[in-house]
Amino acid sequence: MIQMYHVDMRYAGGAFGLRDVSLHVERGEFVFLTGASGAGKTSLLRLLFAAEAPSAGQVLVSGRNLSRLSSSQVPQLRREIGVIFQDFKLLGERTVFENVAVTLEIAGASRREIRARVWSILKRLGLGHRLDHRPRALSGGEQQRVAIARALVNDPPLVLADEPTGNLDPDLARDIMDIIADAHARGTTVIVATHDPTLLERYRHRLLVLEGGALVQDNAPDSYPGSVRRAVSTSA
Amino acid sequence: MIDVRSLRRLGTSMRDGLRGLRQAPLVFLMSVSTMAAGLLMLSAYLLVVQNMRTVLETAGADLTLVAFLTPGEPDEAVVADLAARFGGIDSVDSVTFVSRERALSRLREDLGSEATILEDMRENPLPASFEIQLIPEARTPEGVRRVASRLAEADGVDDVRYGEAWVEGYARVLRALEWIGAGFGGCLMLVLAVIVAGTVRLAVYARSDEIQIQRLVGAGGLFVRLPFYLEGALQGATGAGTALLLLWLAFSSALPSAGEAVQLLLGRAAPSFFGVTEIIALILLGAGLGVGGSVLSLVYIEESP
Repeated sequence: MIQMYHVDMRYAGGAFGLRDVSLHVERGEFVFLTGASGAGKTSLLRLLFAAEAPSAGQVLVSGRNLSRLSSSQVPQLRREIGVIFQDFKLLGERTVFENVAVTLEIAGASRREIRARVWSILKRLGLGHRLDHRPRALSGGEQQRVAIARALVNDPPLVLADEPTGNLDPDLARDIMDIIADAHARGTTVIVATHDPTLLERYRHRLLVLEGGALVQDNAPDSYPGSVRRAVSTSA
Repeated sequence: MIDVRSLRRLGTSMRDGLRGLRQAPLVFLMSVSTMAAGLLMLSAYLLVVQNMRTVLETAGADLTLVAFLTPGEPDEAVVADLAARFGGIDSVDSVTFVSRERALSRLREDLGSEATILEDMRENPLPASFEIQLIPEARTPEGVRRVASRLAEADGVDDVRYGEAWVEGYARVLRALEWIGAGFGGCLMLVLAVIVAGTVRLAVYARSDEIQIQRLVGAGGLFVRLPFYLEGALQGATGAGTALLLLWLAFSSALPSAGEAVQLLLGRAAPSFFGVTEIIALILLGAGLGVGGSVLSLVYIEESP
């Protein structure tokens, strides 16, 4: 699903976002990306949905080489990726229903399909009674669930989540992770960036550790018993 | 290739444009007012030019070229020959021979009670002539001048008259007004496009979060830009419609009290408002200006990630 070969990413000022990162993520895999703030987690995710371009190396997502992707091909790539942000990025003037429907509208779905799918996912995520509310009327956990519904409503083959539980209390964080895990169980490839060791210990998936933009550890799910906190704190 | 999904995206994008208008009606209203003010000036100017052109057309319809024959009684064969020659000129619609006697009797009719002054004359001083009317397409100053010179070349023709000074002077003024209008209109349109660009840019800033989110979930450049184009087009068309309505109100209310001035300018031609074609063209011009302004302000959206 994802292949990266010796990827560097530099920001406009010359600072490195990523340094010589190479990795493979198989279709249907669940991968945690961890590291301290500024380690490159967000940079890596932004690279995968073509919000940033690599300065060197090759990035392939679903067989597409992102270095060769023209600007007109980027929207099609993004329609196949569900992105969940820490700050939710919801449209304040639109209702919960409309926020989730955006993804399907942009994909060109029919109104009937939009109604059915948005209703179905919001009901599944426990927001069936919030369809007509604006985001500001919702709690943080509910807002994040709307953002997740928007990312998943199109059944994308790949989901990228950047600190999806960052602003939530532990119980809500667990709820959110359960929803993402449920999407993974239905075959979606998932990459979650987090620096929350509790989540990493609880869910036990492949764990990539970034430090200063470089990939310093690639742990299989069963190869880091008890070392999660150490891995995260070392990189911090 | 346009498929069903693209059409649905287009529909959604247009709905977004209308939603944008509902979200910021004051900005829309301000922009429409500015557009209306600018287009009111432009359409008022165009209305004056249009009416002056009507005068020229009316004058053209009445226009008769008169080819006076050399003094003395013309030979019948010469008259027949000239009639055939003049009738053969492409732009000529009709040729009427006016004999010396007919010319004199017309003069008598024109003089009415004062015709007695003609009784002292021992012989008819008037020359015979041909009155020539042109087909509508040839009733331009250039067309008239061309036919007049052909008539003057013919043997037996002494002089050709058609009120040339008035026709050409009026046409010159009209041409100058058209040129001034083109320059003035061009500048005005540029200013209006920049104003719309400013308004649309405000709307883009106000909706930058929305644009960013749409792009993140896979909206293409056109999907993002189309609502703003639509907004610009609506601003322009509404501005043009408002300008035309105001102009029509001014036209119909001021006309009765400005009768003498209008008559001085237009003569016998009746003042007229724009026809349906001109109204549609002006509304489309407004819409086009709006879209142009939106394009100006949205160029950079294409480059953002």
